[in-house]
Amino acid sequence: MVTEKELISKLKELRQIKPEKEWVSLVKTSILGETPGFYLFPYFRPALAGLVSVLVFFGVFAFSQNAVPGDFLYSVKKITERSQSFFVSEQERPQASLESAQKRLEELTKIAETNQGKKLPQAINEFQASASEVAKSFSKTEGIGSNSEAIKKIVELDKNKQILEQTLATKIETEELDNTYKNLAEYLISDFGTRTLTEDKEEVLSQMKELAGQEKYLEVLELLPLINE
Amino acid sequence: MSYFFPIIIIMANYRKEFSKIYDQCINKIYRFILLKVSSEEVAQDLCSETFLKGWEAYKNNPKIKNPSAFLYRIARNLVIDYYRAKARAQFVSPEVVPIIDPNPGLEEKAVLNSDLGQVKAVLADLKEDYQNVIIWHYLDDLPIPKVAEMMDKTEETTRVTLHRALKALKEELDKREVKEV
Repeated sequence: MVTEKELISKLKELRQIKPEKEWVSLVKTSILGETPGFYLFPYFRPALAGLVSVLVFFGVFAFSQNAVPGDFLYSVKKITERSQSFFVSEQERPQASLESAQKRLEELTKIAETNQGKKLPQAINEFQASASEVAKSFSKTEGIGSNSEAIKKIVELDKNKQILEQTLATKIETEELDNTYKNLAEYLISDFGTRTLTEDKEEVLSQMKELAGQEKYLEVLELLPLINE
Repeated sequence: MSYFFPIIIIMANYRKEFSKIYDQCINKIYRFILLKVSSEEVAQDLCSETFLKGWEAYKNNPKIKNPSAFLYRIARNLVIDYYRAKARAQFVSPEVVPIIDPNPGLEEKAVLNSDLGQVKAVLADLKEDYQNVIIWHYLDDLPIPKVAEMMDKTEETTRVTLHRALKALKEELDKREVKEV
């Protein structure tokens, strides 16, 4: 049984928990764009400061681009991506969110291929979060249904996800994204339903309806290039 | 052009001031998050996001009265979001379980079995208010009036919460000790 005094002194020992110095300095650099303060020659301080800034910046960012969830530099990579996302317009957001989800999927594939089991849950969470971002961005933008390039990419994303699921022998739940497929498929069917189509395209549309009836929404989206020519 | 340089100078000043805030708070905020999430990678991720959000807010409003309390508030919200997202992502698959080793390794076991490791583990299991009051008062050395301000409670209520938090921590530690014996 511990006494209250002992307990408080143990709690105070928890003060020894500290982040790694390199990480502290890297995060500061990536947020504020400053460099750690070490200089070889005082005369060249200003020049060296500039040079070190540039080198550290490019070095850190270049290295962090290969980081996967659970890696030392992964938080730097995420900060870089988030900073870039501030400059993305509302219209470009679906495309940007798809690219980001594709990146998360690539990280996940890399982890699965190199058998880094411990990093897997975090990487899956990252992918699921980015998939829900894709779903959100697609629900916000009007007229996305006719953006065949974005739909092509979303189909591609799901195909890559399916390949990964086979490798992992498990299903990665992305409910919000699945709903997006459904909404997009329904939108396309109703949109093309109001247009005058050639016989061939009418055939494709009825195929789309049939697939939607079987809840194969992704396959409906795959048919878009045939009807959208 | 004439407006451009003053803006640069103002931004440089903000950067310098926030850099000081970063140096003063990084250890405290990191510890605060780590004690709640018990994973270094997650703590690093949430901590960097805390400061990024803090910097974005600071740039727009550098007159934030208490930057440390402001950063703690961001960190608290991020931890809450993290646990919500974790609960939502119910990823359970028999095939994946063998990849992730559910048994702690030797090193982790040693940490968990150590006195300090146990205090850390029990603290992480306490409810949020209890964790906060303990961390702020005993680890950050904040006096009760300051803690009360951070918790948005009266000093009296904060004292009672602190007393209950310590009691809960002690009881849970005693329970685990008895189990081990």
